[in-house]
Amino acid sequence: MSAPSWFPWLPVHLRSNDNFEEMSMKIKDIITPFSAWSNIVKKPVTVKDPFSERPGADRYRGFHKNDVEACIGCGSCEAVCENQAIDLVPVDGIETKKGDSGLRPLVDYGRCCWCALCVDICTTGSLTMSNEYTWISDDPEDFRFIPGVDKKPWDNSEKGWTNPGYSLYNPDRVEMEEIEPDARITSFIEIVKGYSKEQAEKEADRCVSCGICVASCPAHMDIPGYIKAIRDGDLEKGLQLLYDTNPLPEICGRVCTHRCEEVCSVGVKGDALAIRWLKRYIADNVPFEDYKRILGLDSLPEAKKHIAIIGAGPSGISAAYYLRTMGYRVTIFEAKEHPGGATMYGIPKYRLPMDMLEKEIGLLEEMGVQFQFNTMIGREVKFDELYAAYDAVFMGIGFEKPYLIAIEGEEGPGSIQAIDFLREVNEGKKPELGHHVAVIGGGNVAMDAARVSRRLGAEVTVLYRRRIVDMPSDPEEIEGCEQEGIHIEPQTIPTRIIKDKTGKVTGIEYLMAEMVDDPKGRRPKPVPIEGSENVLEVSTVIGAIGQEGYYDFLGTDWLEKLKIERGRVVTNEHRQTSIERLFAGGDSVNKTADAISAIADGHTAARGIDALLNKNN
Amino acid sequence: MEKIIQHLQGTFDVKVVKKQRDDLYFVTVGKEQAIPAVTYLRDAEGFTHLVMITVADWMEKGVFELNYIVHNYELHADISICTNINREEATMHSAHHLWEQAWTYQRELKEMYGIDFPGSPRVDESFNLEGWDNIPPMRREFDTLKYANETYFPRPGRETHDPAAYMKQKLYPDE
Repeated sequence: MSAPSWFPWLPVHLRSNDNFEEMSMKIKDIITPFSAWSNIVKKPVTVKDPFSERPGADRYRGFHKNDVEACIGCGSCEAVCENQAIDLVPVDGIETKKGDSGLRPLVDYGRCCWCALCVDICTTGSLTMSNEYTWISDDPEDFRFIPGVDKKPWDNSEKGWTNPGYSLYNPDRVEMEEIEPDARITSFIEIVKGYSKEQAEKEADRCVSCGICVASCPAHMDIPGYIKAIRDGDLEKGLQLLYDTNPLPEICGRVCTHRCEEVCSVGVKGDALAIRWLKRYIADNVPFEDYKRILGLDSLPEAKKHIAIIGAGPSGISAAYYLRTMGYRVTIFEAKEHPGGATMYGIPKYRLPMDMLEKEIGLLEEMGVQFQFNTMIGREVKFDELYAAYDAVFMGIGFEKPYLIAIEGEEGPGSIQAIDFLREVNEGKKPELGHHVAVIGGGNVAMDAARVSRRLGAEVTVLYRRRIVDMPSDPEEIEGCEQEGIHIEPQTIPTRIIKDKTGKVTGIEYLMAEMVDDPKGRRPKPVPIEGSENVLEVSTVIGAIGQEGYYDFLGTDWLEKLKIERGRVVTNEHRQTSIERLFAGGDSVNKTADAISAIADGHTAARGIDALLNKNN
Repeated sequence: MEKIIQHLQGTFDVKVVKKQRDDLYFVTVGKEQAIPAVTYLRDAEGFTHLVMITVADWMEKGVFELNYIVHNYELHADISICTNINREEATMHSAHHLWEQAWTYQRELKEMYGIDFPGSPRVDESFNLEGWDNIPPMRREFDTLKYANETYFPRPGRETHDPAAYMKQKLYPDE
């Protein structure tokens, strides 16, 4: 086929037969655009003003919004951003407090790719995106702002991208297996079974590593660090991180008040991480014989000065551990036969088996810490002598003196104090309780006394003066009581313990109470209702309304020098008392009265003692 | 739709059927049967419109999951034919002979994921990323954050805070 002669303007090379097909396509390409002229009289399908007439789709991912009141500044948005478009910055008027860093995300729209991962991972659901995508400003800095703080026209937009319901992390906690209630109450076997490797790693995988929890832990443990160690399968690293701030992880992994979990960012929309159980998983799964190697305790610094510790409870043990790692010689004086303090004598074995404590005490002994049991300061050894013989003294004596209910019939057999009762049971005794026990109080000690009584075969009723919601006990303890068939009678005020002619307890009389709002805004007060007397037939009454400190062992002279306010020893930030070389911690110092606070006190005091003795050098 | 799915199952070695909605099914077949299956849907079942070709990167499983979503205008229904291909030797038969626009999708998938479609027009030409000299950016091993940090300069004065460190500084600086 030859090229048509009516294309004389074509280049010579396109006139050949070989290029004719290509030439034809070119002609089509040239002519086709002219067909568009046919649209010139039609109504345009485009819009004149794309900015005001082209709203984003309802679920479009436009500029961010943030509910700064709901946001806790966890930084998950920043961590997930693949373009590093988000910075966490302080904001005037937003206070840093437990559970809220006070920081808020600032977005750089020069880097944001609008992927919405930040919205999808947001632990509180506060961060969303409007469907607004057009905004004009001459100043590039305007495109860096803090959503929700720097006011924008789209702040109240209803449309845009919110998390459609899925999570980038699992909101549901890996369930912890427990012994069934019916089986529990027949023995003191540990209730909680502990996580398997698979369960622990799955639970650890839910952590967003924000670190919001660290401030709420009295010991400021590196919680994200040791959870990451579980994820990585590196339990030795996990153990090191635990012992950096807490030398009793087996105990805290079981009975810690876990305030960290109360502020867990994952817990805002889902279940909080099981931080306590994860700690237990590490402590339970590293062989004890490897502890010294892992913790670098094989060659401790040469012993120099000598520190005395009064009381082998959590604060004393903690102080001893850290002082020993600093190179001090340490001797612990304990009035009782065994170490552990409240954890040994006060916590039932179904919550804390004895061998856990022995394991941790064993480590201290291997480190060279000396124990003198059955040695009460003020009795076997005078405080004067102790203070003179040692370079410093740490006092971790707990709150051992119970408050009395102060009602008729409290004295005598059948009316006992919870702290004495729990100690006797932990010592292996089996107090005679009779058929029905009334426990007075609403704290953890009351719950422990109730659950132990149940295990000893008694029916149990807890009488508490306020509402159940006001009970200071951990919610899981209350739940445990209910599961085990313990009846809690709230808003009841005991007035009299009834006894028969032989002095045997036969009942307890109480008044019902109504809750009256406090005019000063404090929690409502229980006020007895006149004429509401009730009698509960019981064989034993156990008082559990709190304890106080006992300092008489110091002797009058020292007691005068020791500053005590409302029953607690006053210390500075180093846990140093008003007596220069006497430091103190634990229940007799802090109001939280839990093991982890005592452990933190011991650590703080160890550093304080070290600083004092080095300064004096 | 259920009848169509039954026809598919009778004709091809269907591995998985997932009903997302009454008008949307996901049907997984082997690599060699994916193009025949979409051809069958187009020619025999009236799914004449190719909605899109897309892919999910299942790095942990070592596969790319290709999705050919086709639409039936009469039924107002969609079927996605899914197939897994080896992630390390990511090659798939071209579908451009079925729908001309398929080569555009395939060119994009080559650029973004490195999946080759031999014979697909212009498949090796840049699609969006003129001058790109890195691994295909939508592959999950591509470190977006590292790339962003190396490529885009930080604004002067940028500062961020770690929540835990900031809380320590504010709440317990001496502990």
